[in-house]
Amino acid sequence: MEKASHLSVIVDLSPTQWHLSAQPSNPYPLSIQSFLSQLLAFLNTHVAAKHENTLAVYGALPGKSVLLYSSSDPAPENAPASDANAFTPFKLVDATVVDRIMQEFEAVSEAEEEAPCSLVSALAKALCYINRITHPSTSAGPEDPNELPDPRILILSVSPDLSSSYIPIMNCIFSAQKLKVTIDVCKVYGPETVFLQQAAHLTEGSYIHLERRDALLQYLVMSFLAPPSVRGVLAVPRQERIDFRAACFCHKNIVDIGFVCSVCLSIFCQPVPVCSTCRTKFPIKTLQRLNASRPPGPPRQATPQTSPAKPSTNGHRGFGPELNGRP
Amino acid sequence: MPCSAKASYKKLPGTLELNGTHIQWTQDGKKAPAVRVPHASFFSLFCSKDGSPQVRLKLALVNDDTGHNFTFISTPQSMALAERETFKTELTNIIAKNRSAPQQTPQPAAPPSHIKLPTNSGPITAASSTPGTPASFAPAASRAASVSSDGRTPIIPGTDAASDFRLRKRVLLANTELASLHRELVMTGQITEAEFWEGREHLLLAESSSTSQKRGRPGTLVDPRPQAIEGGEVKIIITPQLVTDIFEEFPVVQKAYAEVVPKKLNETEFWRRYFQSKLFHAHRASIRSSATQHVVKEDPIFDKYLEKDDDEIEPRRARDEIHDLYINLGATNEDHEETGNTKDFTMQAGRQRGALPLIRKFNEHSERLLNSTLGDGPAKKKRKTDDDDEYRRIELEDLNDFEASSGIVLEMQDRQRYFEGRGSGANGNADGDDPAKAVDIRHVFAEARKSTVDWSSRFSQLKVEKKAGDAAFQTMTQNVATRLKSKGQKNDLPPTLFASMRTCQTAANEFLRQFWTSMYPPIALPGLSNGALTTAADQQNRAAKAAKMAGYLGKTHEKVASLVEIAKREGADVSRVEVAMKPMLDAVDHATTFWSARQAKGTKAR
Repeated sequence: MEKASHLSVIVDLSPTQWHLSAQPSNPYPLSIQSFLSQLLAFLNTHVAAKHENTLAVYGALPGKSVLLYSSSDPAPENAPASDANAFTPFKLVDATVVDRIMQEFEAVSEAEEEAPCSLVSALAKALCYINRITHPSTSAGPEDPNELPDPRILILSVSPDLSSSYIPIMNCIFSAQKLKVTIDVCKVYGPETVFLQQAAHLTEGSYIHLERRDALLQYLVMSFLAPPSVRGVLAVPRQERIDFRAACFCHKNIVDIGFVCSVCLSIFCQPVPVCSTCRTKFPIKTLQRLNASRPPGPPRQATPQTSPAKPSTNGHRGFGPELNGRP
Repeated sequence: MPCSAKASYKKLPGTLELNGTHIQWTQDGKKAPAVRVPHASFFSLFCSKDGSPQVRLKLALVNDDTGHNFTFISTPQSMALAERETFKTELTNIIAKNRSAPQQTPQPAAPPSHIKLPTNSGPITAASSTPGTPASFAPAASRAASVSSDGRTPIIPGTDAASDFRLRKRVLLANTELASLHRELVMTGQITEAEFWEGREHLLLAESSSTSQKRGRPGTLVDPRPQAIEGGEVKIIITPQLVTDIFEEFPVVQKAYAEVVPKKLNETEFWRRYFQSKLFHAHRASIRSSATQHVVKEDPIFDKYLEKDDDEIEPRRARDEIHDLYINLGATNEDHEETGNTKDFTMQAGRQRGALPLIRKFNEHSERLLNSTLGDGPAKKKRKTDDDDEYRRIELEDLNDFEASSGIVLEMQDRQRYFEGRGSGANGNADGDDPAKAVDIRHVFAEARKSTVDWSSRFSQLKVEKKAGDAAFQTMTQNVATRLKSKGQKNDLPPTLFASMRTCQTAANEFLRQFWTSMYPPIALPGLSNGALTTAADQQNRAAKAAKMAGYLGKTHEKVASLVEIAKREGADVSRVEVAMKPMLDAVDHATTFWSARQAKGTKAR
């Protein structure tokens, strides 16, 4: 019998990006209205898949992140009017999620300009939530550790990479690895995001970039409904090529060739005399040597999809990967 | 010590000689010995029975059980026997010496006779190690010399060229892939020996340190096993080696031998009766001997020496008092009372009484083995008498924290910037024409507010278009199917083609390695002079090497093209060959682009 599974969904609710996504100039425009409907259907599917399944929904809004719904919350006082066409638990999830989104949009719209979307903060909250439910205090939790749900996170992203959030996102990834939480990523709109690709790869989740955005629900159900424990049997689509590049600490640019501080492992896009993170001073000779070894002329035009990052100048020098016997 | 005799080897008549360092056999009428084995590789000795028509002697070597068979052909046979006896005694001594003294390390300053390798050590060594021309060996030797003189990589232990060469050969023999690469590149003269080993010094170091390790005595118990059983007859082959081993392991047999042979029994009779006696069965290292107890005959001579089974509660041989607190587990007993661990009663040695003699025998054997390694030198005694400070003896050095350092504290400056980081590129998208900028924010917020209105009626009408759904389904299935296909795919390239692909790939990798090591670290910088490193000659050498490697790399595309050609001819999947070689070609292209860019810059500078 399958274990119960916990799903934390992080919804990227950047009004600007959703506005852009709905533009008819896109190949397959997707408005937030249509997105919400398909998302609700997916949430209901997860809840329906097994009685013990639990759910948490986070919204990543401009400048803040909120918990939109959690199945462990007590039912609200003013329960929505029952609907002959809807199963009440589903209706409860749907109504709570949409009402909260509405409230948050009301609150945000006071602002003069849109702050960057706090996806990382939502991710961190989701991880904390999962940590709490997988490590219950001894009195509250079930006796058998096998009864604890199998946790995973699904990120529905529309915003581009925020390179300033590189460090926090990497920290989130490491915590997820430690908690054995799978992070799945569905890139609904916008360019590929390097960091989320890495997040999915490092936690053995799958990263999907939508091609037919009008069929979002199809993607959600096929790729993200199966919990990780089932994926050994039921193959789900995955990203084949992953961009492993990192963002430098100094200018927050995503770099092809980085220079790594030998003390604190900070990454810089150019050789620096003093590490800005730990104030380690580097010998002038090293600087000269590193500068001399940088590629001549203008930086080589990178092809992000095919060339993995070279995190340090010492390791890779462009050797081809070993032929592993299976061409 | 030196002795010689007429003996045949592989049915050819000749002379067998034993001198101070080697045993050698020379065919009649030839000058050079056909077999020449140094003492150190003698492992064991077998002789034919005294009554047999041929007087044979077999010498097994370390790492070579087949060894060499010699037949003594002097007439009359008694003379052959006598000659063999001489050889036997000498060889037994040498073998005993080999076994007791753990393998000596090859001495760096070996006399010239040692450097010459035994001619019979196999054709592989000759193929992989002997440089094709003296010319290609010369740079290797000079390189070795320069290494030891400038002191940059001083730890290569064989300072002279010969032992350096032997070391390299051993590394190549142990690593077939490296050997084939070596054959491919160095034997054909594309890369010199010195270039090949540059950057691989660690392999040599590892090899030299592993060979210089002391090998201890083999720890097997002496347990002669019957070889053939015909009609109840048990046959045990007694080699001189076995006799020595038995005497060492069971002193009581040696005592019996000394007292009985040759007065009461001759040697053959002695061993025959010993192996039938209760004494022998008591000495066997297994409980199964008790089953044969009843078939063993009474033997008035050997039964005298029989000892009572060592299965009393106290072992017969009183255990040495453990003086060393360090290994006496009971000594620190009082420290562990409060930890609350109950004692482990599940394992009681000798609950089964029959096993007790065996357990004790094993223990004694282990003790003997350890003592022989330790040597009964003064070290042991010194430890015992040195009991001034009991505490110091139970102190574990590893547990002492000599340098209580708190590590390097990472003091991040300006944390705010890192964790909330609104750096210059905070908006992520460095492109100037960010579409997000061109959006009227008020309008967008209004749109967002409206988006949730009347959600439930829209939700009830949710419908995924069939066409879109099918397309999505197709792409996802394809994604999974590709992975499944590559997982289930067999490697069905023709083996020869696959082998040449691998060769091409490893060769190109080696060229790349050589190319980049001649590029980095750059030496053309002033102020970076690392002693002898940046002499003009050195620079020229590096430039020449880089040019050479770039030349080789330039040909890689041709090589791959020819591989593809072969694949076409052999009916293999051409695209798979191309895909397999692609990463390597990318790396090669990167290197060649780099090289031509540098060349262009160099000419401009001039």
